Amino acid sequence: MSDANIEFKGSSFTLSVLHLKTSKLADLRIDLAQKIAQAPDFFYLVPVVICIEKLDCSIDYQGIKTLIEEFKFTFVGFTGSIDKEQRSLIRELGFSFVNTARINTSKQLVIADSPVNKRTSDFVSNTQYSDKIHRGQIRSGQQIYAKDQNLVVIGSVSAGAEVIADGNIHVYGALRGRAIAGAKGHHRAQIYCQNLEAELVSINGNYWLSESMEQHWGSPAYIHFTDSELTLSKLI
Amino acid sequence: MARIIVVTSGKGGVGKTTSSAAIGLGLALKGHKVVLIDFDIGLRNLDLIMGCERRVVYDFVNVINGEATLNQALIKDKRVSSLSILPASQTRDKDALNKENVGKVLEELGKTYDYIICDSPAGIEAGAMMALYYADEAIVTTNPEVSSVRDSDRILGMLASRSRRAELNLEPIKEHLLLTRYSPKRVEEGEMLSVEDVEDILSIPLLGVIPESQAVLKASNAGEPVILDTESDAGKAYQDVVDRLLGESIDFRFLHAEKKSIFSRMFGG
Repeated sequence: MSDANIEFKGSSFTLSVLHLKTSKLADLRIDLAQKIAQAPDFFYLVPVVICIEKLDCSIDYQGIKTLIEEFKFTFVGFTGSIDKEQRSLIRELGFSFVNTARINTSKQLVIADSPVNKRTSDFVSNTQYSDKIHRGQIRSGQQIYAKDQNLVVIGSVSAGAEVIADGNIHVYGALRGRAIAGAKGHHRAQIYCQNLEAELVSINGNYWLSESMEQHWGSPAYIHFTDSELTLSKLI
Repeated sequence: MARIIVVTSGKGGVGKTTSSAAIGLGLALKGHKVVLIDFDIGLRNLDLIMGCERRVVYDFVNVINGEATLNQALIKDKRVSSLSILPASQTRDKDALNKENVGKVLEELGKTYDYIICDSPAGIEAGAMMALYYADEAIVTTNPEVSSVRDSDRILGMLASRSRRAELNLEPIKEHLLLTRYSPKRVEEGEMLSVEDVEDILSIPLLGVIPESQAVLKASNAGEPVILDTESDAGKAYQDVVDRLLGESIDFRFLHAEKKSIFSRMFGG
């Protein structure tokens, strides 16, 4: 039997969560109408999850769903930290209950290696990043973040300084501090420098401390992610 | 217009006050009008190094609070008449200063003096920030040792981001590297960072290298800035620093260990 036509894979998406503070449909209708009037196109067919955490027991689930769809949202399911009974009630009524993945940013870096994130990484790597250019030395204690950009440093990065980019990092000078490339999950990000003496380098959450970089220490090098592991190569 | 020079380092005990005193006195000896300000409120030291601790009546904080005039607080140096000292308060803490009033005092001093030397406290807190805020130039005092170099690097970052010149987007503070307690012998033995190492890490122009010297401690205890000890290596090195600050280009001395001849060994030279 072949299952080549379909494949199930886990993926993370950004979904809007609508937090309800009352279960009175009439009140909700007024507030929703006001909100949508501010930016009608923005909300059109947007998938939403409804958070019912702050509501008390008597909730009209069907009513909420109908109301949401009336405003042209795409209803996904309910969420919130609620007890088991309420959860099973939601299921019995035929709605899905969605668990939030509680991921903080540091953890995100760590789990970025999992297949789920690899998918998003592939997607991100197709994006053309622009460059953020920093002229001058980055001193100990300073931190530069190139959000959704590559970072180009014309100067050295001192020990105790930190350079972070969602794309690649290029240092035209010595890299003595920390360099974190592909910070949002991008395993094709690379780090280039003219003199590698880094405290730490990280690509897509995979990191090395200085002791792992003895091979090209003090010489021009770049760090990339190949065959699912960090790789250090000579630049010239 | 007066040049406001902050002597700073981040780390404590590297020789900020010794350097402020020596450079201040050196500039005054060259005929310039110089005022030395002790920003280390609560740990008043500059007056001791300058040998005027018994003449302190009013201090910097009194002037800031309007309890004394500048002329009442300024102490004229007994050796060189063109040098004055504005001592710190020993009984207050660093929060006693505020940007606005410090600015007023500096402006007032700028009318009379050619050089305003601000002796910064250690650390990167309010006191040190206050000392560097109005600076036009900074003498970053560093020992050839990794922690001192890193702290200097941090201060250089602050100079570039937290000073008045940075805030107003003016021409950045002119930075000078002053390497103190340098021991060429230990550098050659690989125990100490070399001038080149420090220059490579901090990448700012070198103003001077002061060799480790017994003369410095002796001078501090006597209240006679070491630049007056014209026989000592440290005194000579500070003299070079002053000349370089005044725009002269002078070769660096005391960078290599002296090979003692058999005679000097015998006669204890």
